[in-house]
Amino acid sequence: MTADTSSDLRRKSRQLIKLIRPLLGGIVGLFLVYRLYIVLIVEHPYGPDTWTRLLIAGLILGGVYSLVAIGYTLVYGILFMINFAHGEVMMIGAFSGYFVFEALNAIKIQDSNFLNTYAYFSVLIAFIVGMTVSALTGYFLEKIAYRPLRKAPRLVPLISAIGASIFLQNAVELLFSPQLRNYTNPTFLTRGAGWTININHSNVIIPYTGVFSFVLSAVLLIILYTIVRKTRLGRAMRAVALDKKTAALMGVDVDSTISKTFILSGALAGAAGVMWGIHNGLVYYYTGFIPGIKAFTAAVLGGIGNLPGAMLGGMFLGIVESMGPAALGIDFQLKDVLAFVILIVVLIFKPSGLLGESLAEEKV
Amino acid sequence: MNKFLKPVFVLCIAAFLFAGCAPAATPAPTAAATEAATAAAPTVASTTAAAPEAVCASDPFGCASFAPGTTVKIGMGAPMTGGNASYGIDISQGATIAVADAGDVHGWKFELDAEDDQGNAEGGAAVANKFASDPSIVAVAGHIFSGATAAAVPIYEKVGIPMLSPSATNPALTTTGSKVFNRIAFTDTNQGSAAADYLFNTLKVKNLALVHDGSDYGKGLADIVGAQFTKDGGAVVVEQAITPGETDYTAVLSAVASKSPDALFFGGYTAEGAIICNQMKQTGLDKAIFFGDDGTYGADFLTRTGANGEGAYASIAPASPDSAAKDAFNTAYLDQFGKAPGTLSPYTWAGYDAAAALASVVKTVAFVGSDGKLYVPRTALVTAVRNLKGYVGLSGTFTCQSNGECNVDKPQFVVVKSGAWVPAQQ
Repeated sequence: MTADTSSDLRRKSRQLIKLIRPLLGGIVGLFLVYRLYIVLIVEHPYGPDTWTRLLIAGLILGGVYSLVAIGYTLVYGILFMINFAHGEVMMIGAFSGYFVFEALNAIKIQDSNFLNTYAYFSVLIAFIVGMTVSALTGYFLEKIAYRPLRKAPRLVPLISAIGASIFLQNAVELLFSPQLRNYTNPTFLTRGAGWTININHSNVIIPYTGVFSFVLSAVLLIILYTIVRKTRLGRAMRAVALDKKTAALMGVDVDSTISKTFILSGALAGAAGVMWGIHNGLVYYYTGFIPGIKAFTAAVLGGIGNLPGAMLGGMFLGIVESMGPAALGIDFQLKDVLAFVILIVVLIFKPSGLLGESLAEEKV
Repeated sequence: MNKFLKPVFVLCIAAFLFAGCAPAATPAPTAAATEAATAAAPTVASTTAAAPEAVCASDPFGCASFAPGTTVKIGMGAPMTGGNASYGIDISQGATIAVADAGDVHGWKFELDAEDDQGNAEGGAAVANKFASDPSIVAVAGHIFSGATAAAVPIYEKVGIPMLSPSATNPALTTTGSKVFNRIAFTDTNQGSAAADYLFNTLKVKNLALVHDGSDYGKGLADIVGAQFTKDGGAVVVEQAITPGETDYTAVLSAVASKSPDALFFGGYTAEGAIICNQMKQTGLDKAIFFGDDGTYGADFLTRTGANGEGAYASIAPASPDSAAKDAFNTAYLDQFGKAPGTLSPYTWAGYDAAAALASVVKTVAFVGSDGKLYVPRTALVTAVRNLKGYVGLSGTFTCQSNGECNVDKPQFVVVKSGAWVPAQQ
């Protein structure tokens, strides 16, 4: 008798749990539709010019998040390790870019300076230097903080990553003082300037730096995708992701491949850092913290380990943060709450993220 | 586990617990005949050796005692790192000069202990706990930001450390019935109503947008401005809050721009204020006036906004009359720190005054005991700071009321013209 009731209970509870997902989804979905209806059909608080501005802000923010998320997701895709120090590697790249721009600004040429006379070249130098310094940081980070822990259980490198993140933040604070540094952009990339379009008798500005960061993240994603899918290094990386031991047996140098992965991820973080500095202007030792968290959220949202997923997750997060509170008629202070609620809802229904699959097409 | 190790571990844990529960201040040993030392009036320190046990035993918070050769410490909690670090650095530098000028109390030197509280409630509580457990801290010239101060006041209340803040302006701080908190800064009630009146009457603003950073200071100030502006006859068309610490506020500003305000009042600090001022042009708020507060004034705002900052307003304490002491301080500050006082933040002189006032009050209640140590009775010090009367400082003359308010001034408004802060039209 008792055995029957207990298995009966278990069956009933399982049926109940199966109902929770669609029930929760239904409630949240109905609430969102209701709020959207109130805002879009009933109230009309904003005109088309404001909606355009919000969309532009969302796309730009999404571009910036994607840029940082790409490097994050690469490391997870190959090594199944969340590199919490990614934000700090990005911050170091931002600092390198700052010093390059300052140096080039100081070199006087006729009645201008190097920065503005050879503007495109200066930006290229800044990116190259930023990416190199960050790549080196990523390489040494892996060598010192992660390689010795390769055989340890999965949580141990995670804690090491957090420790590395704190170490890098404080090292930069002690070396370069905690004061905020202001990026000197070349004139063609002045922050806040952009193309103007007139919507509804109001000037909507599409900032140059915003478009630059959006295009840059798309370009870097395509380059990285090509590397992973078409080159020998990419094949080695996917092999290591699939099965480390067998890859070693097949002649892949696992240590070298992992180092190269971190170098690549570091270079991406460096590009993101320099772009962050150009777009947002202010960098200091703590700059990497929030982008690191947002990039992690974006990567998880899009499917961690999935490269296009990082881009999609970043864009999604950016647009939700910018347009979400306006579309739902809630306070803008709640944008982070909204973003994380949506993250939770997405994960409840699709635990592997929006695009799901991992880089090596194999879930460990 | 080894059978031997278990009892050892238990004994160690018990030992730690007992050590942690030891009372913070050791009560003075009971002595013979005691005089009823009243803690009400501050006692004039006498050079003849008084019996420390008598005074300290009757003082509810006990005495801080200093062996010869140690320093009497005045603490300060300020944002020394981060986006608003210029405030902490500037005010602590002013206070350092004050502590050096204060000389010594019966041969014991003063020392300023400025700690970083990040300007927020968590940091304020952390620094307050640190000071509360340090017996050589007798008073705190701070904290500097209202949010940190609000978190710190209950902690100092428990151990009897008096506070004299040069810059915490949130009105609620003096309504809690605290005995230890005092301030020489004007309150936001005065600042907010003066700003609202200025916006409506002088700048002829009809539609106002309120933006704040959600902190005690920012939100409190924005609410007061909104209430007074509506009372004056203007309209608050939109009120939004931003998340401090971010770098992109274009979405919020776009929503604010959709209501076409004539001016945007920002309650918050330079870190966010500069970003908002920079992003106003690209979000359709190019015609709106940016009106800040005493937290957005300073050299940092100018460097971070550049050309975008032209025409931005802020409020500072009214200029105090020049005096020989003020000139001496200005020269000393410039020599020691390379910048003129009042460039990094508006509270350099107030920082000097807070530390100097505390030092002078400590001198009136401290006495040398029969054992050669310096004693500072804590409750007497708390009461003495509250009873500050007619103290002439560099930034004004202060008399503390029973709730801890020592300054009833209204602010003065300044505006950015050609990349510098100049007094705004009256």
